[in-house]
Amino acid sequence: MNIRRAKIEDLPGMQACNLRNLPENYSMKYFMSPFYPAYLYHCATWPSISYVAEDKGRIVGYILAKMEEEIAEGEPAHGHVTSISVLRSYRRLGIAKKLMLQSQESMATIYRASYVSLHVRKSNRAALSLYRDTLGFEVQDIEQKYYADGEDAYGMRLMLKHD
Amino acid sequence: MSKKAVAPKESNRYLSSKESTLFKELLSLYEAKQLKKGLKTADQILKKHPEHGETLCMKGLVLVHMGRREEGVELVRKGIRMDLTSHIVWHVFGLIQKGEKKYEDALKSYTQALRFDKDNMNLLRDVAQLQTQLRVYDGLVETRHTLLRLRPTARQNWIALAVAYHLSGHLAEAKKVLAEYEKTLKNVPHYDVEHSETLLYHVRVLEELEQHSEALALLDVSAKDRTIVDKTAIMEIRARLLLKLKSDEAEHAWKVLVEHNPECYDYYKGYMLNQGLSLDENPAEALAILHEFSIQFPKANVPRRLSLSLASGEEFQTLAQAYLLSGLTKGIPSLFVDVKSLYTDTTKLKSLQDIAESIRKDTTPDPSVASSSVSTEPTTYLWVLYFLAQHYSYLSEYLKALELLELAIAHTPTLPELYTCKARTLKRAGDFFGASRAMEDARLLDGQDRFLNTKSAKYRMRAGFIDEASALLGLFTKKDAPSPGADLEEMQSLFYLLEEGDAHRRAGRLNLALKKYAAVQRVFDDYEDDQYDFHGYSLRKFTINIYLNVLNWEDHLRSHPSYIKAAIAASRIFVNVFDNPKIASGNIDGGATDAEKKAKKKAKKAQKEKEDAAKKAASATAPTSTNEDKGLDVPYKDDDPDGIKLLSSPELLELAAKLLQPLTTLAQSNIEVWIAIYDVAIRRDKHLQAAQALTHARTLDPEYPDLHVRVVHARHFVSTLPEPIPSPSGPVFIETIQKMLPEEVSPETFNSQYLQNHSTSGKAILATAQASCALGASLQEMEDLIFTVLRDEVQLDIKTALEISSFLKELKSSRLDELHQAFDVRFTVSTAFKTSDELTKLREWALTTKANDSKSSDNGVDAPVENEAELGKDA
Repeated sequence: MNIRRAKIEDLPGMQACNLRNLPENYSMKYFMSPFYPAYLYHCATWPSISYVAEDKGRIVGYILAKMEEEIAEGEPAHGHVTSISVLRSYRRLGIAKKLMLQSQESMATIYRASYVSLHVRKSNRAALSLYRDTLGFEVQDIEQKYYADGEDAYGMRLMLKHD
Repeated sequence: MSKKAVAPKESNRYLSSKESTLFKELLSLYEAKQLKKGLKTADQILKKHPEHGETLCMKGLVLVHMGRREEGVELVRKGIRMDLTSHIVWHVFGLIQKGEKKYEDALKSYTQALRFDKDNMNLLRDVAQLQTQLRVYDGLVETRHTLLRLRPTARQNWIALAVAYHLSGHLAEAKKVLAEYEKTLKNVPHYDVEHSETLLYHVRVLEELEQHSEALALLDVSAKDRTIVDKTAIMEIRARLLLKLKSDEAEHAWKVLVEHNPECYDYYKGYMLNQGLSLDENPAEALAILHEFSIQFPKANVPRRLSLSLASGEEFQTLAQAYLLSGLTKGIPSLFVDVKSLYTDTTKLKSLQDIAESIRKDTTPDPSVASSSVSTEPTTYLWVLYFLAQHYSYLSEYLKALELLELAIAHTPTLPELYTCKARTLKRAGDFFGASRAMEDARLLDGQDRFLNTKSAKYRMRAGFIDEASALLGLFTKKDAPSPGADLEEMQSLFYLLEEGDAHRRAGRLNLALKKYAAVQRVFDDYEDDQYDFHGYSLRKFTINIYLNVLNWEDHLRSHPSYIKAAIAASRIFVNVFDNPKIASGNIDGGATDAEKKAKKKAKKAQKEKEDAAKKAASATAPTSTNEDKGLDVPYKDDDPDGIKLLSSPELLELAAKLLQPLTTLAQSNIEVWIAIYDVAIRRDKHLQAAQALTHARTLDPEYPDLHVRVVHARHFVSTLPEPIPSPSGPVFIETIQKMLPEEVSPETFNSQYLQNHSTSGKAILATAQASCALGASLQEMEDLIFTVLRDEVQLDIKTALEISSFLKELKSSRLDELHQAFDVRFTVSTAFKTSDELTKLREWALTTKANDSKSSDNGVDAPVENEAELGKDA
């Protein structure tokens, strides 16, 4: 297992990993609508905050992250996790946590992000517990009908440390 | 579009002053995409000046944006004819061509436009993007120069020029531009990400120029005054430069990296390299270092795993014992996959097997002792069974693996991994139906897990259940998509496209198979097009380093295994249909499966509704009622949904050649690529290329069975030509073959020599039979040859057995059943060679599952409510 920054040539592997794992999928680009998460757009804009877990050339886990673009006057810069997942066959290795920590560190040092946010399905207890209990995220609010199928999302946040 | 000068009255560009104002308005309406008003304004001008070229073009452009492409393009063409020296008309035409992805034509139009307005910044910027897309780097340098001359205050123009020099191979010039640029800067704020990226780029240029000390100096000073803010990048580049400079500080720099992220292989590799150690040699010293690291980072996996690769003998034994025990106690599902690569060393393989077996012995519950007194975790026993099952399955000891899995399932019937392993084992053993059923059992244990869903769908496709696979996939695809497959195609799922393409191919539905392979090709075409916007965007954002990596990636896109697979598979179909057009006509009727027919109907209906709605909207109100911008890109339209046109194309070989062309540079080490290229080239009378393909293949593996068939084929081909191939390719071709098959040896002799040299290889026996076929041997000769694979000493796997079976089928041999019976005995677990009655029953059985034996209401398909085990995310 190798945890490192995502490279451009990892993008198809990240896309494949996402399609195998999660119901929320993205195509490679969708350039013209910046709200639509797409691999190339994320990595070409914030090249240093997405990470992958690789096993002998195969992408088995990834975190796709961005900096929030629309922030109000006086609000601090913050990062956002667009998608994170680890193949079922590579669980129990703490990969998600390792990916998350690397990404957070880069968000804090490069972009001076004060916190990182993410959304999680209300019913996804396993993910919720990872974010809350293992990584220290806190539930900020509930976004009604956030997902395409009508499910609500928890908006979660974690304050980042700065040295 | 930009402003225009007033034209003299006698010119056909002349507009009276009112219309002239209207035209300016039209330009700004277009910029604001006020399409409706724009159209109205254009019409107003045209009323008075019906042959005004620029207005005609602008009107055409607006119409294309509104989705009335044909009409619009027609007007644009007319407009150009009316005013050949206007930069506006050529600019408009260039935009239209760009939307059609005709980049070369677009560049020509833009160049034309520039002739009439040479300092137009908009034109120049678009030209630069086109030049980059087309990799016309010398022209790019010129364009970027002009832009910088026109606007030296725009920071991005400096960077863009440096990048252009870089791309055109003039690194020293890039360096000069960057230095000049930095001199122009005053008061650079700290923590400016854009400036940080620029400096990192400067360091990169210096490193590529091999000016390592200079690079290091710039890096260090920028890190110190915090103008470079990417800490990880600083550490990585620093360590790399210090290593290249053979500096004493290098060791520390690499160590810092390992501390920063102890799970990154590259950092350990760098550390070792710096110590003069590779990861293959001097194991003792390297092991000592890794040991220290593993103490320093007890949670890190990398140093412990690397040690296993390096160690040998007793040391390996000790390390592996600890590694396996720890993994099994924690129940890490990927443990076997993780250590599998050590199996190339048979001593290690044996050692790992012994360790796992002994752990199994130690953890097996003793039935005579009450379960509460078992000393070890009962889950360790479970995971060691799982590990050993994977181990024996990998070694082709299928029955042993299945036995272990039954034990494990009896112990814990709810662990999906046990069923996925069973499925994989059965698949390897040739029982595709049992495999599919086992994978479905796994899925039913966690219906919300898309990973298991995908696996089960894949196994269904392997068993030929395409519709049933689609039903499963549909549980996770968008509900409003015409079909699950359509959504997966839109989401660029290469896995899905290849699996379904292969499933259709196996079922003989070649047209549908080709459609899927063509869709794979289109994904890569889209990836290639995706870069276009970044030629402007990345420079504006100053994300230069990643942008250069994007360009490089795009240049090597089609080295991706999925592209290679699809290209070879499609090319084989094209060649087969070319040789035997009957196989195309034979399968075209009723090619689609039920679900596909349904999906197509649905798609057709949706399309019709859409068209009706559009028509209604169009007739109810004026066609100009909407401002909706449909953009300039031509939407993809599929006018051959069944692939029938594709399959009956008169240019089958040209299509194949086009698919394979990128692989001649991007996949040179893949022997199958060269075989496919030969097959196409020889049929197109491209003799030089055919000869080159054989030569390439031969350097990779001179004894490769498929190559042997082609060498014999090539010799037979030349000797049976009515007239010799003309010079210069003829003599080269003949010379190439003679190197592989000397002139004095007959192809028949050559073929039997090959057989003698590889008499125990199933693949070689098949190749010999295929070569005999090319030489016109009798059916009986070939049958006799094929049946020698049944000898005990012949190595034969399921895949080869299946190929042999289809070869015999192609020959219309009456001994096919006899062969199948023998294979059925030989491959105990396999169901691939059963009789058709048996197969019918097996198919039915495979689609029933344990779960719906007991569940009555549903058909074994659960709706996904949520995905418990997943870390789900944004919509």
